[in-house]
Amino acid sequence: MPASYEKIISELKEKTGAIPLRLDYPAADEAYLEVSLSDFNKTCLWFHKKFNSPVMAFFAVDERKLSGAYAIYCLFLALDGKKWLFTRAAIPQDYPRFNSLAREIYSASRFEREIKEMFGIEPAGNPDTRRLNLHDEVWPAGFYPLRKDFDSRAVQSGERGEYKFDRIDGEGVFEIPVGPVHAGIIGPGHFRFSVAGEPIINLEIRLGFTHRGVEKLFEGKDAHTGIELSERVCGDAAFSHSLSFCRAMEKIAKAELPERAQYLRAIFLELERMYNHVNDIAGIALDVGFTFAAGYAAVIKESLLGVNEKLTGSRYLKGVNVLGGVCRDIEGDKKIFLKNYLVDTGNDFNRLTAMLYSSTSFMDRVDGTGILKRKTAFDFGVTGLAGRACGIGLDLRKNFEEVYNKVNFKAAKEEKGDVLARLNARIKEFEESRRLIKYFLAKLDEVKTGLAAAAGPAREGFGLGYCESWRGPLLYWVKLDAAGRIERCKITDASVHNWQGLAYSVLGNIIPDFPVCNKSFDLSYAANDL
Amino acid sequence: MKTIVVIGQTLLVILLAPLIGGFIRKIKNNLRMRKGAPVLQPYYNLSKLFIKQEVVSDNSSWIFKITPFIVLGAAVTALLLVPFFHTGFSLSNIGDFFALIFILSLGRFFLALAGLDTASSFGGMGSSREMFLSSLVEPTAILAVMAVSLNAGSTNLEMIANVGAIPVSSLLAALALFLVTIVETGRIPIDNQETHLELTMIHEAMVLEYSGRSLAMIELAAYIKQAIFFSLIAGIILPFSIVYPFSYAQVLAGFALFGGEIVAIAVITAVTEVSIAKMRLFRAVDFLAFSFALGIMAVVAQSIRL
Repeated sequence: MPASYEKIISELKEKTGAIPLRLDYPAADEAYLEVSLSDFNKTCLWFHKKFNSPVMAFFAVDERKLSGAYAIYCLFLALDGKKWLFTRAAIPQDYPRFNSLAREIYSASRFEREIKEMFGIEPAGNPDTRRLNLHDEVWPAGFYPLRKDFDSRAVQSGERGEYKFDRIDGEGVFEIPVGPVHAGIIGPGHFRFSVAGEPIINLEIRLGFTHRGVEKLFEGKDAHTGIELSERVCGDAAFSHSLSFCRAMEKIAKAELPERAQYLRAIFLELERMYNHVNDIAGIALDVGFTFAAGYAAVIKESLLGVNEKLTGSRYLKGVNVLGGVCRDIEGDKKIFLKNYLVDTGNDFNRLTAMLYSSTSFMDRVDGTGILKRKTAFDFGVTGLAGRACGIGLDLRKNFEEVYNKVNFKAAKEEKGDVLARLNARIKEFEESRRLIKYFLAKLDEVKTGLAAAAGPAREGFGLGYCESWRGPLLYWVKLDAAGRIERCKITDASVHNWQGLAYSVLGNIIPDFPVCNKSFDLSYAANDL
Repeated sequence: MKTIVVIGQTLLVILLAPLIGGFIRKIKNNLRMRKGAPVLQPYYNLSKLFIKQEVVSDNSSWIFKITPFIVLGAAVTALLLVPFFHTGFSLSNIGDFFALIFILSLGRFFLALAGLDTASSFGGMGSSREMFLSSLVEPTAILAVMAVSLNAGSTNLEMIANVGAIPVSSLLAALALFLVTIVETGRIPIDNQETHLELTMIHEAMVLEYSGRSLAMIELAAYIKQAIFFSLIAGIILPFSIVYPFSYAQVLAGFALFGGEIVAIAVITAVTEVSIAKMRLFRAVDFLAFSFALGIMAVVAQSIRL
């Protein structure tokens, strides 16, 4: 056992009295600490404090066939953000409940509600037990889809309930319900504002309208189908999703990736980041009515999609990832094309940022709007770009990815947490991506061959695949059965945490400023609802 | 003769009013490197809306149904008071500039009521914002015309136009009235006609529940109102094009000059809209305070005969 793990365990025993039952470390960057259910909360709380990490993911697995019990896994980022640390506990199937972590660690709350509705495991003591994705109006009580013995044909009958929104009462306070059908072509979400005049005093976001049962769909699939499915989880992050999924599968198969494939993946990941960031800048400009800049940014986005198509045949980078690497190379003409394009787009982008920063009317709208405080952000586990805009510096590329550190990657960091800070962070990341791709292209010359490692036979196991998608950390925890088919796939996108951050960032702002706050976070409905 | 000209002129302005809107939209899109909809698009939209089925909320009262008629009626009545490219053919003997402002306010008042009537949250929001703005914009509009009316010694629009002089005070007043026009026509930086974001709307939020023929009437009224304000700037405050007495050559020349002025104002409007972002809602106060200050400066300039 590595010394760092030994130290954690002895300290845990000493400080909390919890008794670790088992420690697994199937891969170099992840470890699983099994404790009894009664020690589970103590352990999680201690990890939370010790490593200053929010709950990165928290999920259940139906292991009743195997061991006669459910298992819950709570994930933290430990040891200076260099190791993934799971706390695992078994939950007896005849008494499916555990004590809620939510009162101590708020970032666990949403996951607990999910565990409850998907598995019927009760988080005792969680103050909020309303359903998230299986809406009361359409899904009868008592059916838990992620249990292995779930039968979808039985769902027809049963009692249906009603969702209760938080109510803010008081003189002059009124409610504005918005959505789930919106005037623009965006995802569905219901926003319930409580306002006193124009200022917002409470916002409750209800999501789950695009719940498709993705995690259930993964069950029983083989690797190939799994990749195709992962690309369709969230359209604007198709590459990140398939990348995280592939990495989980590769980790289980213990595949060693050729260096060239690693660089190519990094290039595609940055291309995805670039088109999304510039698209979001267009969105911010459009939402404050600065239409010229919005049009300018939209042109850059379209040209980036064209680049994607030219390099891979897919505007949204689908069908690029395969198990063990990629199936699209960048060489010869394509490489020269990409190199030249980066120069051109750099000039265009500079003009765009100059246009934004020199417009007082634009800066007046974004500066100081929608401030998310660092403390609030930490409590909700806000990660990714939104986190980096309010002083939470986590970037998985910096922490884990070798190819990035070879080229001196610098993560963007802003402190203020307002729309402008998020805009600045995006602009910096766009420029950094452009620089990174240039370096990666140069590195491709050094590593000539090897697009993908040969896929070995499917084997049993579990593992965490992850990448820093343009929204933030995107985690895929995959468990395979003996035949190499997917038994459980848990997806956690940064949106899951960050939607809650959005609800707090708009407090005190006026209603007409909500759209620009929302756009500056640019969160996903699809990757949240699953 | 006068009756025929008045009727003809009124119908002509009603007919051409949507063209200004389509023209501005076209310029805006071209400035943004887009092709844009054809200039005649407003006519296509209106003719589509006039034949479309109307959906009326069960929770609405007669106010909701009667409002489009009042709004359109008010706009057309106000139109009658405005001299365009020659004097003598408006009905300015039945009301002066104050009448014009308050006739338009009547339409606005009913529109705000209709916004509240359906009990939709957006309508209420729109009405509240529209009333907030109108309380600021009406005094400013009156002050701007006041400055030029001092010159004529009358608030009657025709008499103001007849003076025909363009002192410094008129330029200040024109600028003040241009800012008022931006607010009245729901344009950036105060409102945004193009937005799809229901939470940021002002005028559009108020009329969100309207459909079919009623919506067509409200939209047409908005185009007419825009034509009125553009004409006020072109014809009253900067009366290059006002011709008198009546002759065919004069009328044609006046029409061409007037049209040119309207096009110039439309281009300025379009460029303004594209080049700046919308203001935060409560900043509208600063915007209109500036306009009000311009109005006061115009009055002062007028009183010292500048």
